[in-house]
Amino acid sequence: MLASRASVRSLARRSFATVVDNAGVKVAAVDTNQPTVSITVLAKAGSRYQQKPGVAHALKNFAFKGTEERSALGTIRESELYGGVLSSTLSREHLALTAEFLRGDEQFFVNVLASVIASTKYTRHEFQELVLPTIESEVNALHKDPATHALELAHALAFRSGLGSSLFASSHPHITAADVEQFAATAFAPGNIAFLGTGISQSALSSLVQSTIKFEGAGSSAPSSTPSTYFGGETRHEAHGVPQTLFIGFRCLWCPYSRARLPSPPTSTRPPPSSGPAARPLCSRLLGRLFQAVHLPYSDGTLVGLVIQGPTAAAVRETGKAAVAAFKASSSVKADDLKSAIAKAKFRLATTADGRAGIVDVLGSKVLAGVSETSLDASLSALDGVTADRFNKAVSAITKSKPTFVAIGDTQSLPYADELGL
Amino acid sequence: MAGPALGISLAPLIRSSPTLSKIFTPVATWYAGGSLYRQYGLLYDDLLIEERPEVQKALARLTPRQAYDRAFRIKRASHADVLHAPLPRELWTKPEDDVRYLLPHVEGVVAELKEREKWDTLTVERK
Repeated sequence: MLASRASVRSLARRSFATVVDNAGVKVAAVDTNQPTVSITVLAKAGSRYQQKPGVAHALKNFAFKGTEERSALGTIRESELYGGVLSSTLSREHLALTAEFLRGDEQFFVNVLASVIASTKYTRHEFQELVLPTIESEVNALHKDPATHALELAHALAFRSGLGSSLFASSHPHITAADVEQFAATAFAPGNIAFLGTGISQSALSSLVQSTIKFEGAGSSAPSSTPSTYFGGETRHEAHGVPQTLFIGFRCLWCPYSRARLPSPPTSTRPPPSSGPAARPLCSRLLGRLFQAVHLPYSDGTLVGLVIQGPTAAAVRETGKAAVAAFKASSSVKADDLKSAIAKAKFRLATTADGRAGIVDVLGSKVLAGVSETSLDASLSALDGVTADRFNKAVSAITKSKPTFVAIGDTQSLPYADELGL
Repeated sequence: MAGPALGISLAPLIRSSPTLSKIFTPVATWYAGGSLYRQYGLLYDDLLIEERPEVQKALARLTPRQAYDRAFRIKRASHADVLHAPLPRELWTKPEDDVRYLLPHVEGVVAELKEREKWDTLTVERK
């Protein structure tokens, strides 16, 4: 009892105390006296909102290129002089532009972020010379990383359009700098972005944002996306020189995470390491096998599943069979097992929010959605509502739904979904 | 590659002074009309010396259409040169078509190189 109260108190500090709306731009900050500051511009411009395939990926790579104020080189060199790090990350829901730097340099980096969202020039030659090669190398890296590739294929199967659209462009995308500019105009419109700061006080960030950002007019309409529907299906992809990979996924009908409206961690190059409570009891049963549980919550749909990897197709088949059997058996989980799984899930969520990037991931989408309750407590207490009875019902419902099955590697010998007992 | 890509030019000085541009504009128009490149269907920017890294990079920044048209004009002019005769009069470049399509790109590249040099040789003075 005592311990739980202490944790709540310390967590209360890890929340964006208030959200201020500055002419459509939401500003939220948390200061825990850390030596560095990070400021993130979170835009509702993930791949689900893109009009053409790959535009969101291109916009992510167009961040910090030439603006009205400074060139791409100038942005990088000047930030280096301050010792700051600029980065951009893309998830299916959000595009995040982040600047991390030492205390005292807030003015400069807010100015950099403001000029990126307001006055990037989206020139044709920068698109050709800087953006396209980066896209190509990231796509090549994707094909060398079958776990991430499997998740991309799984999303396309599970959700088709909207959430199903890939985080990655094709290696030679059919888009132009003008397409990216058009998408950016809707993505960085007021009302669609939020400034999130850590290590800076709310009032300081708010006044900086107010003095640097000037939006003209009401701005264009925010990008829209179709609500997600789950479909499911099976696909196989031939690949050489990579580990044999299976992905077995299901729609999560009743997920406390999705009710808490948590975004997935913005990762375009790695699969998210987070795993939901549904996957946890499995982990204890399959200890020592080559697999990873994934839990990918979005604002209107959640995908849970397992990524199984191994050096040979036979090993993957065996692990897959065991995983499916264990998953079906977990519809009769014991209350004690579930309790420890919930504790573990809570711990994971809390540690994620402990880091600077984590707090932005976990709470940023709430700020953007205009939810007034932006503390971690709400997300954690949602997990408390999980009981063994509801959990077992959810698992049996999941196993009845159509699975999403992806096989990457030697497709001749990798198993089909029905061979694993799905 | 000694010297700047575009060479020395008095044009900015002349353009900045109303009196000078009043004097020189008719002369320049007459001179350009008299020079043979228009009779061979070329634009002025087709004559920029292209064996320079700055100009090569600028050429890579042309749109596919611009690059195709440039190659076509140069090919046509070379052929006319082999025949020792200008093109028929209707194929001559009209003065209004003689736009500097390459110059802005070259200037952009030169400015970028200059900026890179500035950042490479910067001395930081802490206040």
